[in-house]
Amino acid sequence: MNVADNTRKNFEKVWTAPVGWGDWFASVNNQPYGARFMSASFIFFSLAGIIALIMRIQLAVPDNNFIGPKVYNELFTMHGSTMMYLVLLPFLEGFAIFLLPAILGSREMAFPRMSAFSFWVFFSGGLVFFSGFLFDAVPDAGWFVYPPLSSSKYSGLGLDFLLVGLGFIEIAGVGAGIEIVATILKFRAPGMSLGKMPLFAWAWLVTGFMIIFAFATLFGATVLIELDRAAGTSFFDPERGGLPLLWQHLFWFFGHPDVYIMFIPATGMVSMILPAFARRPLAGYTWVAGAILVTGFMSFGLWVHHMFTTGMPALSMSFFVAASLVIVLASATQVFAWIATIWRRRPIIKSPMLFILGFLAIFVLGGLTGVMVAVLPFDLQSHDTYFVVAHFHYVLIGGVVFPILAALHYWMPLMMGKMLNEQMAKWSFWLIFVGFNLAFFPMHISGLKGMARRVYTYPESLGIGWLNMLSTIASFIVAIGFICVAWNVYWSWRKGPKAPRNPWSSGSLEWSHDVDMPNYVNLKPPVIYSRDPLWESPEEIKRNERWELISSELEAMPDRFRATLITDVVTGEPQAVQKVAGPSYLPVLTALALLITSIATLLQSYLVAIAGLVATIIAAIQWLWPSDPELEELEKSPLVQKTGLTVEPTGSASSSWWAMAGLLAVIGTIFGVLYYSYFYLRLYSEAWPQDGIAKPDYLRPLGFYISVVLACILFKFAGRAQRRNRLNSALGFGGASLAFLAIGLLGLIGMSMSAPFSHQVNAYGSSFHVTLWHLAALVFAACGFVAVAIVRLLKSSQKLLRGYVTLQMEITGMFLSFTAAVAILGYLILFMSPTLL
Amino acid sequence: MSREVTSFYVRTSALDPAGQVASSIFELTSWMTWIFGAVFVLVMVLVIIGVFGKRQEIPPNSEGESKFIVGLGVIFPTVVLTGLLILTLSLTGAIQPTSEEPTIKVTGYMWWWEVSYPQHGIVTANEIYIPVGERIQIEVASVDVIHSLWVPSLAGKMDLIPGLKNRIVFEASEPGVYRGQCAEFCGLAHAQMSLHVVALEPAAYARWLEQKKSAREELSAAPPSAGLEVFKKVGCAECHSIGKLPALGNVGPDLTHVGSRVSLGAGTVLNNKGNLMGWISNPQALKPGNKMPRSFLSSHELHVLSDYLLSLK
Repeated sequence: MNVADNTRKNFEKVWTAPVGWGDWFASVNNQPYGARFMSASFIFFSLAGIIALIMRIQLAVPDNNFIGPKVYNELFTMHGSTMMYLVLLPFLEGFAIFLLPAILGSREMAFPRMSAFSFWVFFSGGLVFFSGFLFDAVPDAGWFVYPPLSSSKYSGLGLDFLLVGLGFIEIAGVGAGIEIVATILKFRAPGMSLGKMPLFAWAWLVTGFMIIFAFATLFGATVLIELDRAAGTSFFDPERGGLPLLWQHLFWFFGHPDVYIMFIPATGMVSMILPAFARRPLAGYTWVAGAILVTGFMSFGLWVHHMFTTGMPALSMSFFVAASLVIVLASATQVFAWIATIWRRRPIIKSPMLFILGFLAIFVLGGLTGVMVAVLPFDLQSHDTYFVVAHFHYVLIGGVVFPILAALHYWMPLMMGKMLNEQMAKWSFWLIFVGFNLAFFPMHISGLKGMARRVYTYPESLGIGWLNMLSTIASFIVAIGFICVAWNVYWSWRKGPKAPRNPWSSGSLEWSHDVDMPNYVNLKPPVIYSRDPLWESPEEIKRNERWELISSELEAMPDRFRATLITDVVTGEPQAVQKVAGPSYLPVLTALALLITSIATLLQSYLVAIAGLVATIIAAIQWLWPSDPELEELEKSPLVQKTGLTVEPTGSASSSWWAMAGLLAVIGTIFGVLYYSYFYLRLYSEAWPQDGIAKPDYLRPLGFYISVVLACILFKFAGRAQRRNRLNSALGFGGASLAFLAIGLLGLIGMSMSAPFSHQVNAYGSSFHVTLWHLAALVFAACGFVAVAIVRLLKSSQKLLRGYVTLQMEITGMFLSFTAAVAILGYLILFMSPTLL
Repeated sequence: MSREVTSFYVRTSALDPAGQVASSIFELTSWMTWIFGAVFVLVMVLVIIGVFGKRQEIPPNSEGESKFIVGLGVIFPTVVLTGLLILTLSLTGAIQPTSEEPTIKVTGYMWWWEVSYPQHGIVTANEIYIPVGERIQIEVASVDVIHSLWVPSLAGKMDLIPGLKNRIVFEASEPGVYRGQCAEFCGLAHAQMSLHVVALEPAAYARWLEQKKSAREELSAAPPSAGLEVFKKVGCAECHSIGKLPALGNVGPDLTHVGSRVSLGAGTVLNNKGNLMGWISNPQALKPGNKMPRSFLSSHELHVLSDYLLSLK
């Protein structure tokens, strides 16, 4: 056995996922996690689908009493929440986690343990959602949980199951969002500049950013509404100065982008699949990438069009009408780019292509009814009717589920190594396509004829009985179609023929693999010279020697731990070799501890809850605890010597920097929710502070805020000392920083405890106290980061100048600067603005 | 039910408008349906030509391709949507409520509507009487959760939000009965929170106002009756007001004019003696979840009480 063989063997061993029952939980490889996301969301999809059929039976004839209003309200709440939170996005994320490394030419996702954690947290969230059925506490206030209906006065424990489950799903969502963004920005093959990046990745890049901001907003809002329910605050309670409409603003600021969060990845899939069947590159690549970007940005400026009937001033609503029409241009651009791609190319009509054609038909219709409901006067009639139900099922099933089905049939050979049965695929397409249109088109009419949403029954006099009967019968046709898809996947997996390599003759990178993709995806990083690498003719390529050298040096290397190449965000120029995490039980254990804590809190077994919380904190500390990265020996290896790449990237070259940036974006958004709420409540209050509460004294708390700022400055000095290899001075400054943070933390807690009014007195009191609590939590987290940095300094006292130490100091410094900025803003808003503004 | 509208069918649909506001929205709906129908057909024809048309080699990234994408994907929709935006903005202005004093106030309760005429001191429930040919300013509010007032044949909808006072304009161009429905999910009996709008000729409307005003006054002058005794004895008065006899808690609708209503239980069943007796004995069977408990009256009491309530016009 020669050296190369030995290396290869070590390399494969390092990347192998552990086998065995217990080890199943320790694996962190992207492919199983992609599959787990997809399988779990398919289970939830089946449950939500069965729920939908039961609802359709109830609605089949007028004045029906099959399940009655109580069960119906529970079922529509579960159907909507499940489909929105547990099915569409997780399934798409499954695709992304499974395929992104292959599409980008990398070996792993940026933070493998994060994929695992996101999955377990998401799955726990789903279990919490559905466990309401066990305790006869099924949520019944709709997926939108509008207060006051969702307040503790009108809704019981079921809603807490929904909100806590939602909290889990939001954490999983932002986790996956940060990971996907970091992966796409940093984990690309040499030469894959932004302009050569496949549109699947473009779509996910934009979506990842959107998930971060939208889900963080929802997280912040969920905390507020749960505090209203559980701690008696009054953000949304009109009887104590709160505003029900504040929730609608926050919810739709998440909710509208959420629709595009599901749609954009689907368009990314379409842009990958169409060219394969048209046997040519996508037409208008730049236009499509631009359209995705515009959609992403604009989607955050449309939320008010879900609130046209809440009595807002006509002028401000008109602005949102205009914005809603502008975003149509971006979708239209994509649609015509796809048409241009297949234009007179006689595309091959195989099942993935069929689903795409079905997508085009249904999505275009759903898009056009979308324009209709964006037109304010028409929305006054159609809002909250079955017209809207028809519209968004056209958009979500046509615009998201059909591309998912196309993608499933298209990528299954790569993901499972098996071809799906084409005959069965065509049957499922026609059943779903025809059934869908028969089920949902009539709803446009029943809505305009007077059928409001979320009604468990309707009177015969509306004359919509036959339309509903049609919808009900057709919904079963759709169900049969989905059973065919599931059967096809199962049958092909067990008995189907092995798929050939690149069965569709596609041009994109992921198809360069054999059908059984190895765990490490790429033994040797591919080098990218064009957008469709498999279609390029080798003689036309002008090879880049450095990239080719790096690629060949990285073949089966490093072989002692998992690592992959990271490249420049814009140009795809190789920057460093990044170590990525290997198998670990921590993700699943942390998620489990979190699950136990929440369920116990819901069921009011506080001892178990406290034990769970302690376990969560221990697991988190264990996770973040600085480990020895064993990178030293690599420095002398030919890999580093010949290529000049570092193995310890710092600053924005490192993926950890991007993780921290993502985390700060999330926390910043949560504070954005708090500060927005503060001013929104003030805007609609007659007096501020409300109910004659005195304006806060702005001098007394100033010292505590200054100490947070001082802590940030002191830590900057600690970082400087570390870079000059002065251990004692670095430790001194770090310790002082920690001390000042502790003073700030005590001050923030003291401010809340010594205030002459409680968080329950009115919306002002709630806003004041809850903002302080959030600030205290932020400063507490900052203490944790500084403590970990100090441990790092102590553990690496002899190697202070190493890159990973510098990186630790850098990202801790980032967190502290951010904390100081948020604290200053908090001070200005809570203590200065009542006096000054 | 007033004699003026005895022969009627209830109009329930946005596709069957009966007034200026609803008609102008309906017209917009028809326009959009035709235009977007045409756009849909155009796109589908392009897809079909694209897929089945004779094969033709077009070099990727050619100029024609960009023109195709920009022309159809950007310029064409910009033209259509600009026209639509202008139309929308002008229509939005035209159907906006004004700041005049509202003539009718509608307050949402779980799960019924209180309707009051502040200038006339009339309070009733689940039925809004309006004169034809006038733009009626209605103020809407809610005491508990969010509801939404939607009468498709007359206007769009407006949310009833606790803590806020919103406005909506109703205008009926012909006499008739129009069904409305709560359009914002408001809990258990949301589906059965409907109402009727009755549009009368101005003269008939004036008579209606007079009748209601005098009925309320006559009621307070009327001698005690057996029905009223039952009403007080079995606890109806805890939730329902009649005339000057106020309820203890504001939970159920004011019954001063209950005998003249079209329906019982906010549009759940037609108002006649049989239904009324059924409703009083077991309201949960007709409208699950509503806040009225079962009552256990003797058959005699039930008859006396129902006759009495139906006499309250």
